[in-house]
Amino acid sequence: MRNMSVAWIGSQPVSLMDAIQNVAKLLVSSRCPVFTIDADVHGTRSAIALAERVGGAFDHIHGDTLAREVALFADQGAMITTPGETRRRSSLVVLVGDIPVAHHELLLHLAGSNPDLGDRNKRVWFHVEGALEPPSDAGRLHRKLRPVAIGGEGLGLSGVLAALRADLLGRNQTGSLANVDRLKSALGKSRFPVFVFSGAMNSPDLAMLQGLVADLNKQGRASSLFLPTDDDAWGTALTSLWMTGFPPRTGFSDSLPSYDPVRWDTQRMVRDKEADLHVWVSARGTMPPKGRIGLVSLSRTEKRTEGAAVTISVGRAGVDHDGVAFSSRIGTFHSLTASAPSELPSIASVLQQLALVFPGRMGLPC
Amino acid sequence: MLIRLVGGDVIDPVNGTSGRRDLWIRDGVIVEAPEGGAADETHDVSGCIVMAGAIDIHSHIGGGNVNTARLLLPEQHAAHQPRPANTPLSSAGWSTYQTGCLYAQMGFTTVVEPAMAPSTALHTHLELADIPIIDKATLAILGNDDFTLSLLRDEKSTAMLDDYVAWIVASSRALGVKVINAGAAAAFKDNVRSFSFDDVVPEYGLTSRSIVKALQASVTRLGIPHPLHVHCNNLGIAGSADTAAATIAATEGTPLHLAHLQFYGYGTEGKRKFSSEAARLAELVNGNPDVTIDIGQVMFGQTVTISSDVMRQFSALGNANPKKSVIIDGDGNSGGGIVPYRYKHDYYGSLQWAVGLELFLLITDPWRVFFTTDHPNGAPFTAYPELFELLMSAEARDAKATELNAGALELTTLASVRREYTFEEIAIMTRAAPAKLLGLKDRGHLAAGAIADIAVYRRGKDIAKMFREAALVFKNGEVVVKNGKVTKYRWGKALRLNPPADKAMVKRMRDYHDERYGLSLEWFTFADTAIAREEPFAEVSCKS
Ligand SMILES: [Zn+2]
Repeated sequence: MRNMSVAWIGSQPVSLMDAIQNVAKLLVSSRCPVFTIDADVHGTRSAIALAERVGGAFDHIHGDTLAREVALFADQGAMITTPGETRRRSSLVVLVGDIPVAHHELLLHLAGSNPDLGDRNKRVWFHVEGALEPPSDAGRLHRKLRPVAIGGEGLGLSGVLAALRADLLGRNQTGSLANVDRLKSALGKSRFPVFVFSGAMNSPDLAMLQGLVADLNKQGRASSLFLPTDDDAWGTALTSLWMTGFPPRTGFSDSLPSYDPVRWDTQRMVRDKEADLHVWVSARGTMPPKGRIGLVSLSRTEKRTEGAAVTISVGRAGVDHDGVAFSSRIGTFHSLTASAPSELPSIASVLQQLALVFPGRMGLPC
Repeated sequence: MLIRLVGGDVIDPVNGTSGRRDLWIRDGVIVEAPEGGAADETHDVSGCIVMAGAIDIHSHIGGGNVNTARLLLPEQHAAHQPRPANTPLSSAGWSTYQTGCLYAQMGFTTVVEPAMAPSTALHTHLELADIPIIDKATLAILGNDDFTLSLLRDEKSTAMLDDYVAWIVASSRALGVKVINAGAAAAFKDNVRSFSFDDVVPEYGLTSRSIVKALQASVTRLGIPHPLHVHCNNLGIAGSADTAAATIAATEGTPLHLAHLQFYGYGTEGKRKFSSEAARLAELVNGNPDVTIDIGQVMFGQTVTISSDVMRQFSALGNANPKKSVIIDGDGNSGGGIVPYRYKHDYYGSLQWAVGLELFLLITDPWRVFFTTDHPNGAPFTAYPELFELLMSAEARDAKATELNAGALELTTLASVRREYTFEEIAIMTRAAPAKLLGLKDRGHLAAGAIADIAVYRRGKDIAKMFREAALVFKNGEVVVKNGKVTKYRWGKALRLNPPADKAMVKRMRDYHDERYGLSLEWFTFADTAIAREEPFAEVSCKS
């Protein structure tokens, strides 16, 4: 890749600096620029700082999913634990709903160990699911974990959770859930059961699950493990929270941030032409959706992004350069070392250089 | 560059040189008046109070639990009052950026985040690195993790405990060690619901007292300047004064710092069985020179409580306002609870407010009582100016008392205490004493050689206004605030200890993480470069 171009204006290969200057011009003349981000912590920090500088809005590439996950917490809170504590203390793990494939390795890893704290029983698995038929990508997971399925004919996940909660409170009259007695018996033996859920869950279902966990905590202990749909998106949410006080889908006007998951949905803004410049930042090289407004693409790509006024090839943290990312393996941030160091510039370095060619030439705060 | 501050009333208790004099700054450091030297820059501060930059020893300004509070409460920002200023992200409500600006505007130049879980140290330091202007530091939490508790249960050598504490402090880049309701978070995972100083953690057969004593001794042996920072058991509960008294009695000739004593100042008298024991606790503190405390003053209004004391936060869920909260059973020391709360002018709020002030006013030695609201637990730190006023004016206290629950106040000594803090005492409590307590020799005073962290306040009748909007603030010799507005962005450092790592302990940590978490130690450690700022840390030395 070394002798190939890393920057294009339109379809024309240019130097990185020319491209950066061109982006700066576009940003200066933009009335309402929006940033759609897919980056590690440091790429995110710089993108948010630049969004503030130019009075734009920012969102994550997986903004819809992330907004739903953020709402899970902001709507009602939760009782949660960490993957580490689950591994060490929980002899009863209950999967709730679909768990994204990205986390199957974590679960398989968990299945290969037994708790060394608490009751120290051999770990058993259950799966609360809407349909008794597991999704196809869960096949391997199910073969390894052999979870006991909790479900009921014709009940969606909401119905199963509601019936299960009622059952555990001794209030379920219908008795229609499969294997519920086995779960009750397992709960009786486990001192720290953990319910694993992902951001794919909807808010009412999570409320029901958290209600169930709260019920269990009246007499004994129980918790839940949240596995975000996309670790990088969750990392961007956490970074945004400390930088602005708000999750993504935050916009700046007069440098005051405001959070509005509908108004600042950047991909919607692009579709509806509310924005007039779309800065697409993708460390994973995802292609931007087609839009009818100006596009700047900072992407891990070997060729220009179709439709982009300017394309800059950027590296990915943990591959091309070092970085910091959120990981569900430990439930917090960890540092990444470049696995295949390259000369592709980091997103942060491109955005910082961009700020320096801006009128005022003031460096970004990060 | 030579800077001169002319004509200020300098309050500098450490050097006993309070009075009208000039201050000189060269290259970020305070210097003696140069002979015949002409300043490149002169600031006329006549009529102003000049103190060293203030130091906050206990304020939850960053890290996993603080960030979870932001996640839970996007509506909370109003309580933290964004004030637009022409600096990057500084008007972002309740953010790291605003935290640095708001502290600086009040003349604070160093702030300690007192509750960093070692396992999430990278997250904490990433946040602290995005707090502009001021220097920061953290205390590493220990005392609820399996490794510590197993060492103590198995009666391993004190040398091994010391090696572990040193490794934790060094690898998490902390300035000291804190223990939070020692053993309770571990016990809570085993379904224990209340936990006192002599109660036993089930897995380990250890009392809370034994954990505190072991860590206190280790911190002392290692020469960590800040004494073990203790968050006692039974926080917030009627009768908790007994727990605090027992902990104070447990110093046994070695220093201990007790955090937010106000939250333990409660007895069981009165119709509501919730009364003030502040006078009794103040007497105990006055009589025990090994104890230092900070207050955790309650002010009124909406806030959110953020604590790693997961057992206590779980028990407080019923009082959540609004009705939502997050409870985390974390790895070892990384759990906690985020419970929003509104302090009202009712019986309970009024009593808590009075207990804090009683402690401030009845503890006689300003070197041993520290100025905190346990931000944001008792109140956001933005309430500091009003709190200074209450301490410096008995009249202001009387005026506020008329708005509060008279029945509660009658059960306290507050009305009869007429003490008013002097500027000298304020300077000790918020500058000199914190520097001494944390082992920071380069700050908290204004002698030649100190870093030029200086706060200049314009004297006025309105004490709160005076402290809310410093006339001038210097950080490392640079003007960063003028007339209460941030004028210059800069990046402070996180102050840390760096005790040498014992090789055998590093090996032990590798094995422990491999075996217990199935992950290599690299998942949990990081290099300074991970922070992505130039020189994010500054080292402070241990006592030899
Ligand atoms: Zn605290």
